[in-house]
Amino acid sequence: MVDAHPSHEPVAPALVEVSGLSLPAAITHLPRPDPYLNVEDYEPEADAMALNMGPQHPSTHGVLRLKLFLDGEICFKAVPYVGYLHRGVEKLLENRTAIQSVPYVDKNDYVSPLTGELALVMAYEALLDVEPPPRAQVLRTILMELQRIASHHLWLGTFCLDMGGALGGGSSVFLYNFRERELILDLLEALTGQRMHYNALMVGGNRHDVPPGWEEKVLATMDRVEDRLAEYEAMTVDNHIFRSRTVGVGVLDPLLALEAGAGGANLRASGVDHDLRRDAPYAAYGQVDVRIPVETAGDCYARFLVRIAEMREAIRIVRLLVSGIPEGPIGALKPPRHVNAVKLPPGEVYVGIESPRGELGTYLISDGSPIPVRVKIRPPSLHAVSLLPYLCVGATVSDIVVILGSLDPILGEVDR
Amino acid sequence: MMRAWIDTLFAFSTTLRNVGRRRVTEPLPWKRLRAHPERYRAGFALTDDEHGEVACIACKACENVCPSGIIRVEGERRESPVTGKKRAYPVSFVLDMNACIFCELCVQVCPSDAIRMRTAWTIPGTSREDQVLTLERLRANAREGHLSWATPGRLRAMQDPERKNGEGGEP
Amino acid sequence: MSRVLDALRMIWEIGWLRGLVVGFVTLTVVMLIAAFTIWFERKWSGRMQNRPGPTERGYGGWLQIFADFFKLLQKENLTPTATDRRLFDFVPPIVVFVVLSSLAVVPYVPQGPAADASVGVLLALAISSLMVFPVWAAGWSSNNKWALLGAMRAVAQSISYEIPLVLSALVPVILAGSFRLTEIVGAQADWHWFAFWPPGPGLAAFVLFYLSSLAEANRIPFDIPEAESELVAGATTEYGGMKFGMFYLGEYVHTFVASSLAALLFFGGWEGPGPDGLHWMLAKALILTASVIHVRWTLVRYRSDQLLRLCWTYFVPAALVLVFAAGLWRILAGGLA
Repeated sequence: MVDAHPSHEPVAPALVEVSGLSLPAAITHLPRPDPYLNVEDYEPEADAMALNMGPQHPSTHGVLRLKLFLDGEICFKAVPYVGYLHRGVEKLLENRTAIQSVPYVDKNDYVSPLTGELALVMAYEALLDVEPPPRAQVLRTILMELQRIASHHLWLGTFCLDMGGALGGGSSVFLYNFRERELILDLLEALTGQRMHYNALMVGGNRHDVPPGWEEKVLATMDRVEDRLAEYEAMTVDNHIFRSRTVGVGVLDPLLALEAGAGGANLRASGVDHDLRRDAPYAAYGQVDVRIPVETAGDCYARFLVRIAEMREAIRIVRLLVSGIPEGPIGALKPPRHVNAVKLPPGEVYVGIESPRGELGTYLISDGSPIPVRVKIRPPSLHAVSLLPYLCVGATVSDIVVILGSLDPILGEVDR
Repeated sequence: MMRAWIDTLFAFSTTLRNVGRRRVTEPLPWKRLRAHPERYRAGFALTDDEHGEVACIACKACENVCPSGIIRVEGERRESPVTGKKRAYPVSFVLDMNACIFCELCVQVCPSDAIRMRTAWTIPGTSREDQVLTLERLRANAREGHLSWATPGRLRAMQDPERKNGEGGEP
Repeated sequence: MSRVLDALRMIWEIGWLRGLVVGFVTLTVVMLIAAFTIWFERKWSGRMQNRPGPTERGYGGWLQIFADFFKLLQKENLTPTATDRRLFDFVPPIVVFVVLSSLAVVPYVPQGPAADASVGVLLALAISSLMVFPVWAAGWSSNNKWALLGAMRAVAQSISYEIPLVLSALVPVILAGSFRLTEIVGAQADWHWFAFWPPGPGLAAFVLFYLSSLAEANRIPFDIPEAESELVAGATTEYGGMKFGMFYLGEYVHTFVASSLAALLFFGGWEGPGPDGLHWMLAKALILTASVIHVRWTLVRYRSDQLLRLCWTYFVPAALVLVFAAGLWRILAGGLA
């Protein structure tokens, strides 16, 4: 049996200084496999088997294609192919005005659409030098944290689904998570009128103010969600089989994570204490003391623990903010009455926010015309997928499914 | 080792506890347990003004703002049979729901409180043509009801930076 | 009228004819039970996940299994081009044949099964361990990499778990002093169920037997040969229609037979409060089957290497110790008869 991983014991791990960062010594400078390995050079070459995992595979979370080279069941080379879900979102945004483009970014990270909206809207606001009123800022923060909980719900469900199968215990955790995710979607639906593609934000503020009685509903839902969170933990945290599948699997070197640009829980599970909500506060995050959970084991179990802790933290932030939403307007600009209502000044700007998956950035160049010249979206999921050639080597097919699930990539965002 | 197996037993108690819980599945299409909120957006309607005429003035604001480009409006100026004043009327108003992304931007920009979204969430049809809403069908939708809370006026009043009333969504 | 009864009695007295009749009845009933196990699994897993399960056809959706059966029958008999066609088509009936033939020696009533073999336990386990061949043949003949991986895992797993399965079944055999299943049940008379008496080794042997038969029947947490989230559907990836249906039915019959064996070996078979008989046997077997279903919808699955390590480092030594303990108990407490 796999014994408990030593680094999950409650002792402070040994740290090592690397270019100004203190990183956990046990997982820093791990030997790195060669992602460009020539298959012909592999020693037992005769036994190698190429296996195409995806784009139609139950647990590639969409349409990722992984070309695996297997020696028995052990992978010695993995090549991810992306682009099956490419819709040309950046090009579309270069042909739309600031008003029109917000609903498009909803479809990028379809598991947490609001963060995509916020990243784009904040880029336009930075270009225009507009500051949303405090009520809008607090509302945005609440929305982002609600979205984070919903996103992590879906992640936890699919993660367990990858391990326990669609016809097994995994699907139980999956459906429990969806049960509570529905409650959060109900809140967002009451606010914006949609359950998935909200179009809730606009340049200079929010499109929707809270309906009557919404705050009480949020608090009641948070109580329910926190209550049920303990239920998922009972099924996973100390579950022997769950631990066997995740502890020590897919250990991510923090240096590799930093080089690949990984973010969010993937980075924080490897001991890098980095979160834009605290390090570069946006919206109303400056008003709350965001506690960032950090783990040092770098394996799938650590990523799982970080995300669970993030859910608890998000519940805390929502509770803190929702009881004291400031009075006032929700928009800084006149509500748009036509398509060219927002005039863009020439300039370029980059804005990054902390989406549930890491740093989600938008880079805008404008030449003063109503539509931007260039829009570039930096999706955190793409950087998570770029870790796969390193993490999959030496893992079995079963492990690869778990590693992929623990990185939480959303293919709509990867391919754009 | 033993401890780990005992902890695993908590999973069984969790699933056993859930056997007794109320089911959350909605028995669609037979019954709907939860109503959609009044802001729900699905489907479209063109409302009438206070004189019983179509409120749309064929200004093409929605046609221009629609990100998917699914609205086509053609209008003409003529005298109103009720008030006798001259104003623009839509001759044809086509909204292709096949490509609609339900972003509510057409409602957002409408200057005459004409277009509204509906909360009726079933929009079935047997062909693609069934999802193409014409002026007549849009007005019939308005007469049928199930309109969302958001009118263009209400939306903009809610978003107004000079808004006095900070309470609630209903201005 | 009496002539008909006389004829029936004559048939009954001819051993092989009686075996044929009993066997036929057992097969039919067990297949029906397997079908309703599928229905129960869908309902119970639905309740576990706050879903209703099937609701539309029949009360509580009990007719849904027959709807599914006819749907599978109507499906196109699809055989991929690159398969070994003859082997591919030959495998599903073999699966059903193998799982059903072990029923020949499994008694459900005190009068005995179709063939009350003197080595019943061994025969039942030996027949059900033949499952490895059709599963491997299915994976190989499919000419599909996922199927091949699944089949390889299945072979490794079945061969490994065969050992603790047989060893833990040896514990009641040693305690009863017989391989004949009816005699093993007879030895548990007067509430001396082997699961509880002698205290200790019997219960531990039952736990081992239960877990090993979970692994033999490819149920979660040991369902790595199927592992639909990893291997799409393992060895059965390329099978569709009724060919898949046979695998599916085979899985449930296998589960029920394993539960029946556990009930016979450890829980006194048809013995219970009130009159003994078929009802107690079925109740025990069904309760064990239901527990298998509950386990399936609660746990996630092991990785294949962890599974094999679990078998060889814990189950096999533990089973050996239990066999030794059972022998010791028999010498000390019962004396060698």
